[in-house]
Amino acid sequence: MTETVLGVVALVFLVLGTVALLIAAWGVLALPDALARQHAATKAGTLAASLITLGAMAAAVDAGSWIRLIVILVFLFATLPVSSHMLARAAVQEQDPDDSVDEVPLAGGDRSPNAKRDGE
Amino acid sequence: MIEFGTLVLGIGAIVVAALGVIRIVQGPTSADRVLALDLFLTAAVALAIAAAIGTGRTVFLDVAIGLALLGFVGTIGWARLIDRAAQRSRPADDNVRSGGAKERRP
Repeated sequence: MTETVLGVVALVFLVLGTVALLIAAWGVLALPDALARQHAATKAGTLAASLITLGAMAAAVDAGSWIRLIVILVFLFATLPVSSHMLARAAVQEQDPDDSVDEVPLAGGDRSPNAKRDGE
Repeated sequence: MIEFGTLVLGIGAIVVAALGVIRIVQGPTSADRVLALDLFLTAAVALAIAAAIGTGRTVFLDVAIGLALLGFVGTIGWARLIDRAAQRSRPADDNVRSGGAKERRP
């Protein structure tokens, strides 16, 4: 009985994580802007990693697997926001300041006053 | 039943890796390519977890830990490199940002 319940939980979590991972890849492929792609990959990717790890924890049977999966989960939660932040900084720095400031109003905060001055 | 979940996870991770490769080839900026590489490594971690469930060996979970470590360090390194290169290639923009434009314009 318990094995059946755990198997169903593992199956549901693994399938949901796969769907979230596919949504992340779809966003990376389809969204128009570098920062929009960042947003899709980071949030959906973190959700997918946590769901897949939880599903694997429900499917695993021994303590060694649980410890390793907890290490993976904690490490991904600690590092994915940091790497996403660094990549977003790099994307903003890399963008051409002449043409795309109006399209990313939240990102070019240190550049937009100068751009408005250029427009006037 | 869990075999079905493992199969779905494996096929989905391979599809995600293929889509990430498409973005790496297309991507107009370097940040897009590094982002797709990050997603690729997340798919690789998922694939290693699927292998661990499918075979019942915990060695693949060690592989997943190593991949997560490697992906983090690689992404940080590439992001810093892109950041420095973009700053170095636009010295005029740095002038504008540090207040040089006010003095030059009436």
